[in-house]
Amino acid sequence: MNDNNFKIQRNLWESPWGYIESFFIGFGLIVTGFFLEVFIASETAFTLKYPYNVIFLAGYVLLLFMANKWFSTSQLIRWLTKVPASISSIVLVTLLVMVMGIIPQVPSNNNIINNLGLNHITTHWAFILIIFQFLTCLGLISIKRILQFKWDNFGFILNHVGLFLALIAGILGTGDLQRLSLNVYENKPNWIATDAERNEVELPFAIYLKDFIIEEYNPKLALVDNSTGSIALNDGKNLYLVEKGETYYFNNFEVKIEDFLPNAIRFGMRYESVNEIGSPPAAYITVKNTENDSIQSAWISSGSFRYPYESLKISEAYSMVMTIPEVKKFSSDIDILTQEGERISTVLEVNKAFKYNGWKIYQLSYDDKMGKWSDLSVLELVKDPWLPIIYIGIFMMIAGAIYMFWTGNKITKNS
Amino acid sequence: MTWIDFPLYSSLIVILWIVGLVFLAVSYKKQAVFKISTALFVVGWAVLILFVVKLWLELDRPPMRTLGETRLWYASFLPLIGFVTYIRWKYKWFLAYSIAMASMFLAINYLNPETYSKTLMPALQSPWFIPHVLVYLFSYAVLAASSIVAIKGWYDSYKGNLNLETLKLADNLVYIGFAFLTLGLLFGALWAKEAWGHYWTWDPKEIWAFLTWMGYLIYIHYRYFHSQKTTQALTILALAFVVLLVCWFGVNYLPVANTSVHTYTQY
Repeated sequence: MNDNNFKIQRNLWESPWGYIESFFIGFGLIVTGFFLEVFIASETAFTLKYPYNVIFLAGYVLLLFMANKWFSTSQLIRWLTKVPASISSIVLVTLLVMVMGIIPQVPSNNNIINNLGLNHITTHWAFILIIFQFLTCLGLISIKRILQFKWDNFGFILNHVGLFLALIAGILGTGDLQRLSLNVYENKPNWIATDAERNEVELPFAIYLKDFIIEEYNPKLALVDNSTGSIALNDGKNLYLVEKGETYYFNNFEVKIEDFLPNAIRFGMRYESVNEIGSPPAAYITVKNTENDSIQSAWISSGSFRYPYESLKISEAYSMVMTIPEVKKFSSDIDILTQEGERISTVLEVNKAFKYNGWKIYQLSYDDKMGKWSDLSVLELVKDPWLPIIYIGIFMMIAGAIYMFWTGNKITKNS
Repeated sequence: MTWIDFPLYSSLIVILWIVGLVFLAVSYKKQAVFKISTALFVVGWAVLILFVVKLWLELDRPPMRTLGETRLWYASFLPLIGFVTYIRWKYKWFLAYSIAMASMFLAINYLNPETYSKTLMPALQSPWFIPHVLVYLFSYAVLAASSIVAIKGWYDSYKGNLNLETLKLADNLVYIGFAFLTLGLLFGALWAKEAWGHYWTWDPKEIWAFLTWMGYLIYIHYRYFHSQKTTQALTILALAFVVLLVCWFGVNYLPVANTSVHTYTQY
C-alpha cells in the first residue's frame, strides 16, 4: 500500500477500499450496535461461558486461517488486512473508549445516557462489534505474518499476536471469570461467598480466620485553622509523624512531643497506656510560641470509634490536632479447610495473594470503622482460567516493546 | 541509620553530576570532553549505588517502603535508563535529562528529610510500584520531546521548509516513548492483578492510559504506511499528546475521577 492509491481518481466502493469506505463500514457497525442497544435492550450483558467461549475461539481462529488461505483475494478479506481498515478500527475503538473515559460508567439519571447505553460501554453492542472488527484485522495480519515468517517480522509478530491473545482471552474470559468476596470473622470458618450481584456462592473449601492484624503508622501532627477546621499548612501535605522526643515547627510555634502512647485512655489529668478495644493514641506536647515565648503543655489524642478526640488550642487562629493513624499493613492469618479434611495455613496481605486450587485469595478489606480492632477480614477470591493466555499475550508484548525500543522504526532499521 | 550520611553522599553525587552536565553541554561544541562527563556520571552513580547498598544492609530490608526510599530508587535507575538509551540512540540531551531528573530526586530527599518516613498506603507497597512509575516517567518525557519536535515540524512546514530528518527524529522518539508506554501499561496490569485481583478494571486512569497508547498507535501505523503525508502525521502526534496530558493531569478534573484508584492527591 502506498500513497499513489489515493491519488488515482476512483469511485466509492471501487476496489481497493480506502479510508472513506473503512470509516463508512466502521460507523455502520457502530450505528448497528446502537440500534441493537436501543431496541433489543437486554438486562444482562452478553457473555459466553465455558465451553461456548472455547468453541467460539476455536471456530474464530479457524475461520481466520481459512479466510487467509482460501479467501485472501476476496474484497472483504483484502480490505481487512490493509491499513485503512486497521487505522479506522483503532480510531473508532479509541472514540468509544473516550466516551467511557468521560461519562462515568455507573447507573445514571440522564435519559440519553441510559437509553443509548453510554454508561456501560464495555458491554455495549457498538463496542463489541467494533472490537470484533479490530480483532479480525489484528488476527488476519498476525496470521499472514506468521505464515510468511521472517526474522525481520519478529517484533511485529510479538506485538500483534501478543495484543490479539491478551484481548481475545480478556474478552472471552469474562464469562468464566469469578470474583467473589468472602467475609471471615476471627475464630469462625466461612465458605459462603458473594459475587458482584450479591448472590451467594458456596465455595469448595472453607476459610478460618485465626487472626486479623493491622499495623498502623504513628498518627500525624497537624496545625488546624480554628475558623475553617481544615489543615492549615501546605494543603495538608506537610504533616509530621508523631514520635516521642521530636520537635517540629509550624509557623511561629515550636512543638515538642514529650510523650507518645499508641493506646491510651484519659485518667483525670493525664493519659495512661491501656490494652483495651478502641483505645486511641495520645501524645503529651509542649508548644512554645516563639513570638512571645509563651509555653503551654497538654495531652492530645486522635480519638477512636469509642473515645472522642482532643486537640490543643494554641492561639485564636490555630489548634494542634493529631490525625487518625493511617494503616501501614493489614494481614489475615488464615487456615484453608479443604473437603478432604486438610488444613493449609497462610498469611494474606495486600499485594501478597495466595494461590489455592485455581483460586487466588486476596486480602481486600476489613471493618474500617473498627480500624485495628476489626475482627472482620474481607477476602476476595478470584478464579480466571483464561489468565495463562492473557499472560502469554502480555509477556509477548513486553518482549515486543523491548524489541521496539532497541530496533526503532523501519527507517532506522534499514539504515 | 545511614540516612544521616545522606547529605554528604548526595552532595557529592550532585556535584559530580552537575560538573558532568556542564561538560556534556560543552561537548556539543567539543566532542572530546564528552568522555569526561560520562566518567563523572558513572562515578556519581557508583557512589549512589554504594549508598543504596549500605542503606539496604543497615535497614535489613529492601529500602522500597517510603517515598524517600522510592525517590532514591528513581535516582538510581534514571541514569541507567539514560545510559542504555544513549548507547543505543546517541541522544545526549536524553542522558542529560535523566541525570538532571535523578539529581532533582536527590535534592528533594535532601530538602525534605521528614518525607523519609512518610506513610505509604498498603496497595502501593509493591515491588511493581517503581518500575511502573519509572517507565511512565520516561515514556512521558520522551513523548513530550516528540511533541516539541512535532511543533517544530509544523512550524517548518508552515514556512515551507520541512526537513524529513525532523520527522525521523519524531518517529524515533515516538518508538522509544511508545515502547516505555507499553511497558508502563503492562506492568500496571501485572501489578493490578497482584494488588486488586484483576489486571484490567477500566479505571479512569487506565482508560486514559489506554487512549494515550491508542493515540500513538494511530501515529505509528499512519507514519508506517503514509510516510509522505507529513502534516496529517504531525497533527495526529499533537492530538496524541493532548490525550497524554489528559491522562496525566486531566483525569482528576473529569466527571469520572471519583471512581479512580489513581487519584492519590485527595488524601
